[in-house]
Amino acid sequence: MNSAENFMQNKQLSKQAGNEPAQPQPLQQLLTRPDIWQLATQQRRPRTGITTGYRGLDALLASRGWPRGATSELLVDKAGIGEMSLLLPTLAELTQQGRMAVLVNPPHIPYAPALVQAGVQLEKLLIVHPRGQRDQLWTAEQSLQSGACGALISWQGKEIPADKDLRRLQLAAREGDSLHFHFRPSSSAATPSPAALRLHLQGDGEQLAVHLLKQLNGKSGQRIHLARRADLIRRDQPLH
Amino acid sequence: MLWLCIQFPKLPLEALTRARKQGEDSPQAVVESNLVVESNPTAEARNVTAGLSIATACAYCPALELLERDRERESQLLQQLAQWGYSFTPVVSPRSSTGSGKKTDRGESNPACLYLELSGSLKARGGLAALLHQLRKELHKMRIQHFMGIGHSPCAAHLLSQLPEHRQWLAETKTPPTPQQWRQWISFAPSKLLDCNNRAIAKLYASGIKRVSQLLAIPLSEVGNRFGRNFIDYLARLNGTRPDPVPSYEPPPEFHSELFFPSPLDNSEQLLFPAGRLVRELCRQLQRRQLYSQQLSWVLDYGSRGKQQVNVDVSRPLFDPQRLIALTKLQLERVELKEPVQALALHCQQLRPLESQSLREDFFDEGSKLHDSYQLIDKLKARLGHEALSGVTLKESYLPEQAWASADSLTLQSKSRSHQLHPVNAPRPSWLLPRPEKIQQRDHKLFYDGELQLLQGPERIDGYWWQHHRHARDYYIARGNQGSLYWVYQDLTSENWFLHGVYS
Repeated sequence: MNSAENFMQNKQLSKQAGNEPAQPQPLQQLLTRPDIWQLATQQRRPRTGITTGYRGLDALLASRGWPRGATSELLVDKAGIGEMSLLLPTLAELTQQGRMAVLVNPPHIPYAPALVQAGVQLEKLLIVHPRGQRDQLWTAEQSLQSGACGALISWQGKEIPADKDLRRLQLAAREGDSLHFHFRPSSSAATPSPAALRLHLQGDGEQLAVHLLKQLNGKSGQRIHLARRADLIRRDQPLH
Repeated sequence: MLWLCIQFPKLPLEALTRARKQGEDSPQAVVESNLVVESNPTAEARNVTAGLSIATACAYCPALELLERDRERESQLLQQLAQWGYSFTPVVSPRSSTGSGKKTDRGESNPACLYLELSGSLKARGGLAALLHQLRKELHKMRIQHFMGIGHSPCAAHLLSQLPEHRQWLAETKTPPTPQQWRQWISFAPSKLLDCNNRAIAKLYASGIKRVSQLLAIPLSEVGNRFGRNFIDYLARLNGTRPDPVPSYEPPPEFHSELFFPSPLDNSEQLLFPAGRLVRELCRQLQRRQLYSQQLSWVLDYGSRGKQQVNVDVSRPLFDPQRLIALTKLQLERVELKEPVQALALHCQQLRPLESQSLREDFFDEGSKLHDSYQLIDKLKARLGHEALSGVTLKESYLPEQAWASADSLTLQSKSRSHQLHPVNAPRPSWLLPRPEKIQQRDHKLFYDGELQLLQGPERIDGYWWQHHRHARDYYIARGNQGSLYWVYQDLTSENWFLHGVYS
């Protein structure tokens, strides 16, 4: 099945590549392509993204939120700096709308009380533990394509996924109109990636430092500091 | 009463060769104790007919494929047919074939047949002609040869099904026959069609009784003197003067069907075709009886080398054969055949009745989106296995590791209308470690990837002292070197420090 799909995809790509010089497409048609960025229309562009729940971050992003139907890469080295709390508002909103959220191979147990506190509907949360790289990619692709899945969060395992696979996930996310969040170590920042958005996350004191590495249709290179929840970093008089 | 008798003359052959694709026409014959019992049309074209010895048959047709008769499979197939008939009328009675293998001295044996009482289902099915048409069409689809007869009692229907004139009338008729017509046919029937032993038929012919009408003209007491009480009884049932009870069939709430491959299959792709046939049979059954199945279990039979079971889970009522086949395909792709497969069986234990509740959810709730998610879950389950999918729920407990529970993804998707639990109103980490990790402790300082700094606490959780293992802990929120926030605790009994969660 996969090889057949792959074949079809390649065929389409080669057809596109072959057709373009032969019969020039009308300009309007070309401009509607999502991968062509027109600076002049930047101001008029509708806010198509799904809000992150952080105003400062929304303002930085070209679509005023997480890009729809695309992969967003989050480069994180250390757990616990608030990387999940960056996604929890979005997960809460999507699950309340009745769409599914899928976690593929989460590193630890997603703790139900914390998720409920954040507003996530637990009955819409699915945790999948596929074995091996192939099943993992298959799961991600199928879930993204299905259209039932509002957001899929995957963690890069030991093997580094090939560029081709990342591209396929990106296409699957577009097909199913779902958000794909991919956690990767920051060492992969140097390698190119087809993701629509790449953020580098780092802990900075008691704040989360976000560095925008790349975004489609928008500027990159900005940095922003997001504060963590006040009740977490409140300092009590230590007993010991 | 309107009884339909459907006779299956080729059942011994069909039980063995039904799994093959249509159009395979190598000559085949079923044999039992050295005699040919049944042969397919290709073999019949070469004069291989029932009653020949194997040697003669092989002389007529050297390429003949001989199959040993399997009575158990035959009766299984008849049970399946009875189940199929049950979907048309609640009064069904199967009758297995009579006569043993040594039937040449008894003449022809009776093939297996099925009695259906139709008077109650004519209206629902749009009249006799439409009902008969549907029966014929479905039997043809199942590739079962048959002929039918209609009568006022089971034995009359059985007799008339053997009468060619009656069969022809039945093929054209639109209305059920009148009692007069029955009597005419019965009296017109040759007496060799009577359902009695050969000796009695020989006696009838010897006394010049060639048609049933002649027999009926003789006073019953005279007939009784010559042919015995049982024969009189039979005549009375045939006439309709005495009731003709037949055992009624009661379908089990499960589905079993098996296809046998005379030449074993060694490729799992080849299994898809017979699997599709079984799934279609299942779907028809389920739809008619308004049941659904949550699990299809496929059994691959390797003959003497054991069996292998493959389960396909279905999360919600599903009647669409294409989708069930797609799920089955995902499972079969993963299966490596150890040996050539000799038979493929589909079992569904515990068919459940459709509940209006589950349907209502589909109509008025989110509808297609919910449907999509069920489909996705089924697909993932089919490839990754049941255990790879899970959900989480809340549980009522003071202990942090018991305040959540892993849940079946199936029950999760349907909206729970039960009591809603609320989590504790205190900051809880989004990741919980499956097992608390011990933290290094030196000079009253804690080290986990650098020095830990306690920010908040303690939150004392003490409980379960009545159990053998007391849990007394002081929880703190701690900050690591690089800004990570951790949930750590000190065990009050051992005074050791542990990492239990990550504020991610």
